[in-house]
Amino acid sequence: MKRLIYAEILKLIKQSKTYYALASILIIEVIILLSAYFEGTNIINLLLDNLRKSFYFQGSLLNGNLLQYLVLNTLWFHLPLIIMIVVSGTLTTEYKDKTVQAVMLQPVKKWQWILSKYIVAILFTLLVVIALYVTSYWLCRGLFGEGDLVVYLDGLNFFPAKEAAYRIRWAFVAGSLSMLFFAVSSLTLAVWLKDVTKTWIVCSLFLIVSNLLLKIDLGNAWLNQYSFVKLNDTWQYFFQFTIPYQNIFINWWVLMGYIIFMAAAGIFVFHKRDIG
Amino acid sequence: MISGTGLTKQYGGITVLNQVTVQCNSGEICGLLGANGAGKTTLFKILLGLVTPDAGTISKDAQSVKSVGGIIEKPALYDYLSATDNIRIFCGSQGLPTHKAAIRDHLERVGLPVDRKDPVANFSMGMKQRLGIAIALLNNPACLILDEPFTGLDPMGVVALRKLIKELTNQFQLAVFLSSHMLDDLNVLCSRLYVLSKGSIIREGNTHEIMHSCTRQYFITGDNMAAAQAISAWPHSLNGNTADVQILPSQLPQLLAALQQEKIQVTACVPQPDLVQLFEGGTV
Repeated sequence: MKRLIYAEILKLIKQSKTYYALASILIIEVIILLSAYFEGTNIINLLLDNLRKSFYFQGSLLNGNLLQYLVLNTLWFHLPLIIMIVVSGTLTTEYKDKTVQAVMLQPVKKWQWILSKYIVAILFTLLVVIALYVTSYWLCRGLFGEGDLVVYLDGLNFFPAKEAAYRIRWAFVAGSLSMLFFAVSSLTLAVWLKDVTKTWIVCSLFLIVSNLLLKIDLGNAWLNQYSFVKLNDTWQYFFQFTIPYQNIFINWWVLMGYIIFMAAAGIFVFHKRDIG
Repeated sequence: MISGTGLTKQYGGITVLNQVTVQCNSGEICGLLGANGAGKTTLFKILLGLVTPDAGTISKDAQSVKSVGGIIEKPALYDYLSATDNIRIFCGSQGLPTHKAAIRDHLERVGLPVDRKDPVANFSMGMKQRLGIAIALLNNPACLILDEPFTGLDPMGVVALRKLIKELTNQFQLAVFLSSHMLDDLNVLCSRLYVLSKGSIIREGNTHEIMHSCTRQYFITGDNMAAAQAISAWPHSLNGNTADVQILPSQLPQLLAALQQEKIQVTACVPQPDLVQLFEGGTV
């Protein structure tokens, strides 16, 4: 199993598209920072115009914490989309190039091979989220310094700099679970669909529908609480005035259940299906 | 040795293979001939274990880790990796040594250069076929299945690959089962032949005898063929010094002797098996 994982890592490292994906994440990050640098002060002034009449703001609200929070918002769409494209591509390109046949002609267990793909997909996703956290941490603080964080979430919440950094850090941890869910789902979709383009389209649809359903009342208390679409914003709980730790932990466990279910479904289907 | 007995496969209600029985013994090269869509690739996928048959059984060397290796349609390689990395990945995934010497051995076995570091995407089709065979031979299978191995190769590549297949068969006593719709390749390489048509085996036996039984036409080339009187006894047409003669194999020695008597020096005599009869089992 270790050798299969090593082989999958080698393939991922040697493919140029992996670096295109990482570069595109960095470019998005830089664009966010540049737009904040040139337009950020005006937007904040506009948002806080009324509050400024009643309160006195000391220091700059356009600081590293706010910028990292903005980068964190790429977890809604940009980051999962890129992760899904790369992760699903690890399997669909094997179908396209028929290397999956070549592998299955070797004495390799089907379930072990596909499991190794899921494991490497998880490692890659975690690596990407960690890279996003580390680069955004240094870039945001390097360019904009530290400061208090203002977040609009059912009203304006203000967090002191130190607490903001703590909340952002844990939001990244929570967000990485959502990213893992999308990564694993995309690989399972690849198992089902096999075709590169079809898988990309369905992955994009899956992501868009998930985001749309997140904002919609599903008409059932259980669904509203525990359907997977409602769990993907758990990272935002860290920006509520009081962090609802119990809800977060429950959401994490349920989301991990969904991740395991999706991976198990993909492994089962791959194992049962003919390769030819 | 590998054999399949009574192999049947349907896709969406259409019978792709119908009660097919084949066998290839150690040290033997068997050919599978058939038109496009005859079921050759499906049969090979079943023998390789990629597709489960609806009925029938497969018998392989049960003792080895990998009883059969093969290439389906074209060598499936990681184009963005070098030959060395391709071998490393396939070796690693099945627990074989991945050190430099081991990888070099695998490349040398099929006559590939060991010092090329560029991606396989830059390789010629012949080199890709060789690398595909090297991967198929990992873990020393007793049987090698090659589906259309000569497709996309230039004439020199075809000759080189034929030589390699023969050498590997003799050296490792492999049972080699290969498919093609190129009659020359099968004629030169295979001692036994199966002809598959619409999912059923319609002919099997000695390759030469099968080709012979379906031949009613020869291209005979010789000096001053236009002046030859002997060929007028058979329906024929002339194209320069080559005569396209409709003649039974049993009558060919008589014609050649007559041409010799006329002092016409025959430089080539190429049989042209009747493709309808050969591929579909029809009569001339």
